[in-house]
Amino acid sequence: MKINVMQDVLQANDRIAEENKRLFSENRNLVLNLMSSPGAGKTSLLEKTAEILAGKLRLGVVVGDIETTRDADRISKFNVPAIQLTTGTACHLDANMVASALPHLQLDKIDVLVVENVGNLVCPAEFVVGEDYKIMILSVTEGDEKPLKYPLMFKESALMLINKIDLLEYTNFNLEEAKANARKINPSIEIIEISCTKGTGLDAWINWLTAHHKKKMDVLPHA
Amino acid sequence: MHEMGIAQNILDIALNAANQEGATKISRINLVAGELRGLVPMQLTFCFSIVAKDSIASGAYLHVEEVPVSGHCNDCSADFTVEEYNYLCPKCGSTRIQITGGTELRIKDIEIE
Repeated sequence: MKINVMQDVLQANDRIAEENKRLFSENRNLVLNLMSSPGAGKTSLLEKTAEILAGKLRLGVVVGDIETTRDADRISKFNVPAIQLTTGTACHLDANMVASALPHLQLDKIDVLVVENVGNLVCPAEFVVGEDYKIMILSVTEGDEKPLKYPLMFKESALMLINKIDLLEYTNFNLEEAKANARKINPSIEIIEISCTKGTGLDAWINWLTAHHKKKMDVLPHA
Repeated sequence: MHEMGIAQNILDIALNAANQEGATKISRINLVAGELRGLVPMQLTFCFSIVAKDSIASGAYLHVEEVPVSGHCNDCSADFTVEEYNYLCPKCGSTRIQITGGTELRIKDIEIE
């Protein structure tokens, strides 16, 4: 006997993500789901961001890794609340994992919550966690063809940061090619070139962050 | 390995639907998976066979119907299939397109005994 089911496979995840989203809005948090390959510079970006935002916007971080609390330790040094999720074997964070971290954060004392996803250019893009925006880092050492090889993440991201541009001259990475490839997948993607080690482009990133924070606060009802 | 988590979700939904019908066995699950989901059907069916092992879905055939990415042009109203991640209207070249298919991931129906 055949029976109709017609159910979304990820509906359980989507439901929890909606619940997270409601909680974030209640606490007036802008939430970013930060994704990239391992070693592209997610944690370095957060360290720099914490440094620049100190005294302006209050940052909070939920960070996912397969093992160790190294990333949360690095971010905590900047007096930013950082919760480490060790996923064991999972290659991405899902809504439920993020939800499990939230009771450990004082959300009402956070303006911008960044969910630093597990380093992986594929799976994290599949799962919403309750974020306002997905953003990603592509680093020049990875190659300019990556948007074509791993399209979903580029398709889903509102912003692509191209990191390590100080290393451009040592690689065959073609900046214009990388941008064209990303825009081919996602014509509306915003692109900012940065170097976390040299500090290049970080002002443009911080402007993006503060503008999107303001944009969300403007549409939320006032507390 | 997001296929493992997805396989578990497929099993949960199928078992739930089968239980409501008082089924003793699930023989087939028909899944619709958009190309943008980036799932590898062979991996998914393998993962499914593992998670389903000790349930009434053990040995069930998981059929994955892959759906290509499709789009609609907001400028010239053309409907088209997106080939090779080329997010342009093939008719007028506009980038103002919306994705109309290829992101779905749902269980269509199941066959039970």
